[in-house]
Amino acid sequence: MLAVNFIAVLAVTFFIAVTTQRICGDYRAREFLDAVHALPGGEPWHIVIVSAALYLALAFTIVVQERYYTGQTKKLYISLAAEFALSALIAVLLNFNYNGVFLLVFTGVIYYAKGTKGKYLLICLALFCFLLTDSKLVSLSYPLYSINDYFSYYDASMQQYLVGGYSLLSSLNIILFIIYCILMIQQQQGTIDEVNMLYEEIRKTNEDLKNANNQLEEYAKITERMGEVRERNRIAREIHDTLGHTLTGISVGVDACIATVELSPSDAKEHLKRISEVARNGLLDVRRSINELKPDSLERLSLESSITKMITDMRSITDMEIFFDCRIPRLKFDEDEESAIYRVIQESLTNAMRHGKASRVRIVMERVEDTVVLTIQDNGIGCAEIKNGFGTKHIMERIGMLNGTVEFRSENGFSVIARIPIRWGEEYD
Amino acid sequence: MSGKKKIGLLLGLCLAAALSAGIYGYLQSRVKVLEVGIFAGSNWDVANANSYVIIDKAVEKFEAAHKNVKVHYYSGIRKENYSEWFSRQLLQGKEPDVFMVLGEDFNQFAEIGVMKDLEPLMAKDPEFDEGSYYSTALGAGQYKGRQYALPYETVPTLMFVNKSLLNREGLSVPDNDWTWEDLYRICRRVTKDKDGDGLLDQFGTYNYGWMEALYSNGAKLFNENGTESYLNDEKVTEAVRFARQIAALNGMQKVTRDDFDSGSVAFMPLPFTEYRTYKTYPYKIKKYTKFQWDCITLPAGKEGDNTSVIDTLLMGISNHTEQEQLAWEFLKLLILDEEIQMDLFRYSQGVSVLKEVTCSQEAEEILQADMEKNEKFIDNALVSDVIENGVVTPKFLKYADAVAMADNEIDRIVEDDDNIDNSMRILQRQISAYLRR
Repeated sequence: MLAVNFIAVLAVTFFIAVTTQRICGDYRAREFLDAVHALPGGEPWHIVIVSAALYLALAFTIVVQERYYTGQTKKLYISLAAEFALSALIAVLLNFNYNGVFLLVFTGVIYYAKGTKGKYLLICLALFCFLLTDSKLVSLSYPLYSINDYFSYYDASMQQYLVGGYSLLSSLNIILFIIYCILMIQQQQGTIDEVNMLYEEIRKTNEDLKNANNQLEEYAKITERMGEVRERNRIAREIHDTLGHTLTGISVGVDACIATVELSPSDAKEHLKRISEVARNGLLDVRRSINELKPDSLERLSLESSITKMITDMRSITDMEIFFDCRIPRLKFDEDEESAIYRVIQESLTNAMRHGKASRVRIVMERVEDTVVLTIQDNGIGCAEIKNGFGTKHIMERIGMLNGTVEFRSENGFSVIARIPIRWGEEYD
Repeated sequence: MSGKKKIGLLLGLCLAAALSAGIYGYLQSRVKVLEVGIFAGSNWDVANANSYVIIDKAVEKFEAAHKNVKVHYYSGIRKENYSEWFSRQLLQGKEPDVFMVLGEDFNQFAEIGVMKDLEPLMAKDPEFDEGSYYSTALGAGQYKGRQYALPYETVPTLMFVNKSLLNREGLSVPDNDWTWEDLYRICRRVTKDKDGDGLLDQFGTYNYGWMEALYSNGAKLFNENGTESYLNDEKVTEAVRFARQIAALNGMQKVTRDDFDSGSVAFMPLPFTEYRTYKTYPYKIKKYTKFQWDCITLPAGKEGDNTSVIDTLLMGISNHTEQEQLAWEFLKLLILDEEIQMDLFRYSQGVSVLKEVTCSQEAEEILQADMEKNEKFIDNALVSDVIENGVVTPKFLKYADAVAMADNEIDRIVEDDDNIDNSMRILQRQISAYLRR
């Protein structure tokens, strides 16, 4: 299309220049003037060169636009405006004898203006330009030279060829334009097909997703069942933790009472009172565990005070000396961590009392690099071989759930060293 | 603003000023060429030995007033070739900036936009005063109500009188306010067969036709835009009838140029240029030497005056000129400068388009200087009057063809048609149909 228009523009101007030369050579200029309605108003060869130059500029703009400006709305608009201006200049220069250049710009408008806001405006403008610059229409209001005047200078048979060639060029241009439009439509049809295909895919994916969802639901049911199992385990652990702890305290306290009741009944009485209190507390614990499976103290109190309370309780029912040394200024853990730490301490104290017969326990909580290190050391008898009893197993389980490690040592008594990694993004400050 | 910035700004301004001054100077110093299109010889086909005297003088004057401007014209283009030469320049886009427009080209050229519409230039220029021109001369350069060309030289039509013949017949030269009746009376008196061979050998008029009668009867053939014709108007039919009367005097015989040159015709319409050329030295000896002659106005019709058609040489500016102002200045020099216009009387044969120049004592002296001692050149004031009241042919594209059509048919009517009114009505319809087409 670019080439056809170039040929047309060149042909029109070239023809006029050649005919002018011929008329002048024949000394029939004055006679010719009687037949025309206007004149080109410039040197014909200049017009050839200038219009060719303008056309090349137009072609250049079109090529640049195609190559580099696709998708850049602002630049597209500027280049389209430039193309309009250039086409208008060419049309004026040719005195509207050939306005097919506008079709060329029109194709650009159709191609690029698809998605933009002003597409209808642009298309209307292009159409308007093409229709308005029709030579016959313009010549109604403005005197124009007509290429037909130049045709009529030749004899009849030559005129036929000339008119034929001229219409061939304009028709060819229009035909190319139509073909272009058809291609555009086909391409758009292609796009529609693509969209349909994509839609089909989406539909399939949707179905798959539904299936997956169903599977997921089943899986969720399984998970729920597993949760139940896990919950049962947890309940077992809770019962062991609260009930075991309380019962141990009571049994040790009662043993002490048995020993002291005869020597000092008042002391025993006092002891029993405390044991009763511990038992009641334990009862409460059990109730709560059953209800919510959460330790009462932890619910109400912060970790530190919970631990302190537990230690106070422990001191009051046993003779064990318990030291709590917290080297982390402010204790702030997640619930599961708090729970784990509390339980580990509780379990360790129970073990120290029950198995180690220890009289002194030392609890240290400190921060070493990225871990919280919890050390519980007693001066009890320890054990030669660490049994995987329910207690130690629990400790390991709980710490394991926090990705931590537990170490049991049996030198100078028994010690539990738990290392809990500090969670990412949190600061135990 | 800091001192440094101020200095910088000042320097910048100075630089810009110097640069623009330099560019201005360069543009000013460039030699511009103003192309002028003129032809050699007279527009009215009379001998003229001084073709380029006036233009050369004007060029000299113009170049003196405008430094860096050169005026160029092609010399040696004869009037008969001028139209073709100009058309070729036009087609090639090389037309001159200022050029003479021949009467027969004016309508077509104005139609296809060859000449610039001069009215904006006229309105802008305080020196230009329409009032100093003969309105008829200005009218000759108007097309569809716009001034596309300005008059340079104008020529009225006069009536040649063979004084010797009239004297022989015992008649005196008619006054300048004579009428058709006077003409008819004299013609009837002088038309005769002197040698008795049965053929007329002395005639009243040569070349006096219906058109001449029409102009002096206040008639109009067409409206301004050439959309209507008034051929069956009473004034027109009167003129045709009168022309037929005059022609009838000669019977079937045709008066020829030879009859006139040999002195056997009393009257002939004659352009002022011929009068000027052959009445004065040096061309006096070339033509009309066998008898005494003079010129008077044309006879007035019943409804009209002693008016005749005036012919004006026009000058225009190219519509595509790149030097509009210079072209205007040069055109103005030719048509407005009293000295140049006065030279028309010295070196050309027409009449200045400036009233003041034509009516001046100086012009009279110039004209009288070339006359024989005992003869008096026609009165300037009279010529001025004839021009002022003259008839300008309508300016529209089909004028020439329409007139040719009418002339052809009316010639036939004048020769042998008794039913003038009816024939004129038919002709009127034909011409109107042609005009509307």
